[in-house]
Amino acid sequence: MDFSSVLSGFAVAFEWQNILFCLLGVTVGMLIGVLPGLGPAATIAILLPITYNLEPTAAVIMLAGIFYGAQYGGTITSVLLRLPGEASTVVTALDGHALARRGQAGPALGIAAIASFIGGTASIILLSFIAPALAGVALAFGPAEYTVLALIGIFLVGTLGNGSIIKSAAAASAGLLLAVVGLDPLLGTPRFTFGTDQLADGIDFTIVAMGLFGVGEILYNLEHRDRPQTAVPSFGRAIPGRLHWLQSRLAILRGSVTGFVLGILPGGGATMASLVAYAVEKRSAKDPSRFGKGAIEGVAGPESANNAAATSSFIPLLTLGIPANATMAVLFGALMLQGITPGPGLMSDHPDVFWGVVNSMYLGNLLLLVLSIPLIGLFVRMLKVRPGVLAPITIVITMIGTYSIRNNAFDMLLVIGLGLLGYGMRKLGFEPGPFVLAFVLGSLLEASFRRSMRIFGGDVSEFVQRPVSGTLVAILVLTVVVVPLLRKVRTRQTANAEEEGVRAD
Amino acid sequence: MADAETEAALGEQPEEPRAGGRVQSVVAGAIPVLLGAVAAWLSFGLNIGSLTEPGPGLWPLIVAGLLVASGIGIIAVTAKTRRDTEAFTRGTIAVLAAAGGLAVYASLYEIVGFEVPTVLLLFAWLRFLSRESWLMSAILAVAVTAVAYALFIIGLNVPLPHLIAF
Repeated sequence: MDFSSVLSGFAVAFEWQNILFCLLGVTVGMLIGVLPGLGPAATIAILLPITYNLEPTAAVIMLAGIFYGAQYGGTITSVLLRLPGEASTVVTALDGHALARRGQAGPALGIAAIASFIGGTASIILLSFIAPALAGVALAFGPAEYTVLALIGIFLVGTLGNGSIIKSAAAASAGLLLAVVGLDPLLGTPRFTFGTDQLADGIDFTIVAMGLFGVGEILYNLEHRDRPQTAVPSFGRAIPGRLHWLQSRLAILRGSVTGFVLGILPGGGATMASLVAYAVEKRSAKDPSRFGKGAIEGVAGPESANNAAATSSFIPLLTLGIPANATMAVLFGALMLQGITPGPGLMSDHPDVFWGVVNSMYLGNLLLLVLSIPLIGLFVRMLKVRPGVLAPITIVITMIGTYSIRNNAFDMLLVIGLGLLGYGMRKLGFEPGPFVLAFVLGSLLEASFRRSMRIFGGDVSEFVQRPVSGTLVAILVLTVVVVPLLRKVRTRQTANAEEEGVRAD
Repeated sequence: MADAETEAALGEQPEEPRAGGRVQSVVAGAIPVLLGAVAAWLSFGLNIGSLTEPGPGLWPLIVAGLLVASGIGIIAVTAKTRRDTEAFTRGTIAVLAAAGGLAVYASLYEIVGFEVPTVLLLFAWLRFLSRESWLMSAILAVAVTAVAYALFIIGLNVPLPHLIAF
């Protein structure tokens, strides 16, 4: 590891404007984490056009802040209302809300914030050591390796999501097909443009992300708009006592490690990590029956895990150029917009961006800890804003942002159409995540595949015979076997959680 | 973010969306098959080439094949389980109305500028979709448009088509 670039990364992270964008990012992240409805992927997608005019480092620092900030915010509603703002904080609701009912919401939120901080920070330190090594290995990758790597990425995101595997495969294929629109990457032949110039340059990634995630989610929520408002229980200060800390410190340690490891795996991410961490805590507890009735370890473990995973999921994006989940796919797009290709070359070509963003996360986590302990009350008050008021405002911002990309009203119609597609996909049980990820990786996958076929003289078996790509193929095959097993474990876990959730009432 | 896990943890939440019927499950598989068939047909119009010298049509053809295969798989697998789609409700009309309104909004943008369509869109959405009061809808619509004008046109210098100039 090159220490001078790490240190100059700190200098970048602590430039006053980057501190400001970091603060802005984590605050927005915490807000959307508190508000159910818009997730981090949608929020980042909507804000993409605004980041056009920013400096690359500042833009990515802010967008990354939204992502990990949302993990903190989602916890608040999980504990207080049993309404998880984010999927990764669902399992926190079990014991967190039980504690809140016993009048211990304050300590629960305090432990959650501290666990999140430790998990996130530990993960950044590990990332700083592992990412350079991984990028070093990846520098030797050629088209064949990238073909297999992109396939692994798409496969894992498709299968580790919540939908059925075959439907994710269909959604991913549709995303690949949409990526074909435009000029052929190697020969320049127009494809699927239906004769219009509007489609000749292909469809901008921002449009796809804003349509499917942004407009799609708003339209989907519109259908179920008669949700009753829930009363927010009162709570004291979010400061845990000594006993809570002693009970949860080992859980925080275990959760951080679990989260870091699962976060690196494409598609693993924060949700999976929090579920596994909960299971680990329950198994290692002396008295597992306390879980679901207000065990503080049941808050500490998953919370440190989901933050550690959120941080380590940056590793595949920043070192291999393969986004590990839907939010990372949007960040991939954000980097491309800035003219920066995420991948093994990122660390050497743009050390200021890489280390600036990574080191800003220390600051971001610290800011979140400082913000969340005294300001939780303020964020909770945001819950009183009606979703019906937020939705049209978000739509207007999305539309203005879309127009500003190319000063083109056709793009607005495209976003609306893709929004309807996103809504239809959700209704028919397709997840938009694999679609968007496949769209992002589509041109890389096609170009690498075609280049490899030329190098190999049309012999597909060369993929297996070359040592590096052969190893990756082995990993791909292994995941095809392992992932369904993991899914089975998780389904059982969720079923257990459901049972306990009902019993706890 | 409302997925199976959320619902699991919510437990008592009664509003789990109703699952769609068998027809909807079959449609979910038929759409990829159709899409794949059309894409395959269009790919043949381009040059397919060979595995050694792939033409522009080869990759879309492979993807089209994947679509058709996964669509058939969906029909075979999920038509029996029938649990992973959501039934369309009366709310679907609101969704379609919103999308239609947005399309009109987008078409007016370059003709009359962004101010008037934005006020109208916000007002209609707040009053009819979110069921805010007339007064509240009117105030919010005008206020949000003014803030957007200040933020995007004056603040961020975004070249939006607009009527009012300073």
